[in-house]
Amino acid sequence: MYKIFLYDGTFEGFMCVAFHIISEGIGKDRAIIVSKNEYQPMFIDSVREVQNDLKTFLEMRKGIIEKADNSVFKKIYYAFLSDTKDKEGYILRYLFFVFEHGKKIKYLYSDDLVNAVEKMAKKVSREIGKYMGLMRFYETDKGFLYAKFEPENDIIKPVAFFFKGRLNEFNWVIHDVRRNKVALYDRKKLQFLNNNNLKFEVIKEDEMVQMLWKKYFKSMAIEERKNLKLQQQNMPKKYWKYLVEKN
Amino acid sequence: MDILEKLEVLGAAAKYDVSCASSGSKREKHFGIGSTFSAGICHSWTDDGRCISLLKVLFTNECIFDCAYCINRKSNDIKRATFTPQEVAELTINFYKRNYIEGLFLSSAIKNSPDWTMEMLFRTVWLLRFKYQFNGYIHVKAIPYASLDLIKKTGFLADRMSVNIELPSEKSLRLLCPNKTKESILKPMEFITKVAEEEKNFVSAGQSTQMIIGATDDSDYKIINLSQHLYKKFKLKRVYYSAYTPVNHDPRILKVESPPLLREHRLYQADWLIRVYNFSADELFKSKDENLDLEVDPKVMWALRNLDRFPVEVNRASYEELIRVPGVGIKSARRIIKNRVFHSLDFEDLKKMGVVLKRAKYFLTCNGKTFERFLIDLPPEKIKQKLIDKNSLQRPRQLSFFDREVFTSVITGEI
Ligand code: SF4
Repeated sequence: MYKIFLYDGTFEGFMCVAFHIISEGIGKDRAIIVSKNEYQPMFIDSVREVQNDLKTFLEMRKGIIEKADNSVFKKIYYAFLSDTKDKEGYILRYLFFVFEHGKKIKYLYSDDLVNAVEKMAKKVSREIGKYMGLMRFYETDKGFLYAKFEPENDIIKPVAFFFKGRLNEFNWVIHDVRRNKVALYDRKKLQFLNNNNLKFEVIKEDEMVQMLWKKYFKSMAIEERKNLKLQQQNMPKKYWKYLVEKN
Repeated sequence: MDILEKLEVLGAAAKYDVSCASSGSKREKHFGIGSTFSAGICHSWTDDGRCISLLKVLFTNECIFDCAYCINRKSNDIKRATFTPQEVAELTINFYKRNYIEGLFLSSAIKNSPDWTMEMLFRTVWLLRFKYQFNGYIHVKAIPYASLDLIKKTGFLADRMSVNIELPSEKSLRLLCPNKTKESILKPMEFITKVAEEEKNFVSAGQSTQMIIGATDDSDYKIINLSQHLYKKFKLKRVYYSAYTPVNHDPRILKVESPPLLREHRLYQADWLIRVYNFSADELFKSKDENLDLEVDPKVMWALRNLDRFPVEVNRASYEELIRVPGVGIKSARRIIKNRVFHSLDFEDLKKMGVVLKRAKYFLTCNGKTFERFLIDLPPEKIKQKLIDKNSLQRPRQLSFFDREVFTSVITGEI
């Protein structure tokens, strides 16, 4: 019989569930992990809800880093941010592998599961990389820079941490429109909020700068080398919606 | 003239300069706005598919010189404009904080005098660093004939500096740039190398240069040999190649209908081979006036000429031997070495490690076996026929001049 484990949908919560499953010797093929708000009850299930607990999370993290290394931990984190269906199942089985093989996991290219998790993580890291460059901030009336995006994966956290390093002297807000999540930075603290009631007006001066940027963007293209296909390959259309130079 | 118009003129005038990448900065940051990211970040892609990572402008396009290939030369009748240092600094900050760019790439034509121009570049960078406390990436040109003092002052504020070598030989330089001498280019280049070796925080992302390809009859051997020299002698980080775009009608320039993009692409690949794979120019070319094969990449070209060194046995070959196999990159060679400790590798494993079997299968064996029977005994001509890179012959790849080598192996030439 399967055992169903519920968690709060966060990475920390997920790691806590995984910790219980592994330490209690429940086989990897007998456990199913589901986020609380996605779970639809069925009376035959045996259901257990695991609380999110920082100590357990840290212990789990330490374990992974000791067994493998930091890069494997990061891979797991990125894979978790992916919007792949049943990511929990993949990552759980991957975790069993990590504890079995340690560092060697990085070289098990031929294993399908390892491959699948690598792919999930890679997709996420690629999307983060793209948004480091393609996020566009607007200057607003409230003294905040404001950026909207609609990423495929749930990447607002790593993206926001990047901008915390970069735009550290400004107040700013990043808004994941698809999930209605917000990252808010006020030059001291970075906070993550779950819905956005903040209203911002773009100021006049910003429109002038947008115009300058559009002019510049156009003037950079070399007519004799025109290659729109390559442009789209590097900058797929799904990113264009909030791009100043493409609107 | 308002700023919008200036930006249009001075942005367009800078677009042919290709040495625009933002990676590799190690400048330490203590306070102020922004940061550099050591791998570099693309912020947009133009309609020609090139990545924009920096605000790339000329300070002025008014020039006292008259280089034959240059749109800004004195004898051209074009719209002229000159920024003020304040204007460039403000533009940079405004673009930077909206995340349009990684930083500034500031070049210039030579107005009034080399020193006047260099002084303006210095003031611009100074404003950015001290008035605006800007920590982002700055690449600035060193102007030929400018005083070394000014160049030095500027270099302490910049991440990267470059002097354009312009053309692959002295003869070509004399022909096309009557006002510039080899000296005027190599002297500041050498000076920057020297100061960078002695002083911390002086052009911490290093020095680069660029040259124009296809405007003169210089051979690929000459070009790659020169690059090899520049890497060794001046420790340049990158040499950029720019397929000449015909902007002027000048009898001294070879007739080019369209920029020789495929040749440019092959040169980047060959450059990659000497920079990363330890090839030498003499190994790649048989004679001094030889060109790269446009039909196949330079590694395949070399391998076909040296078939006696192949096949290489994957489970025994050294790292140096592995990276010389067409289709095996640095990354897959490393993976092979790490993995074969656990078990001996077959072709399936190689595929999963990223080896491009389409090319590699002619040049290696797994436990003594070839990929298909008879492969190894094929004559070079037959192999070449199968390896001709039809895609790039139809549509030469556009380069994005972006340093993030891992992700952009195609454009930087990892082969
Ligand atoms: S000095 Fe520079 S800007 Fe002036 S004509 Fe020569 S290449 Fe052009």
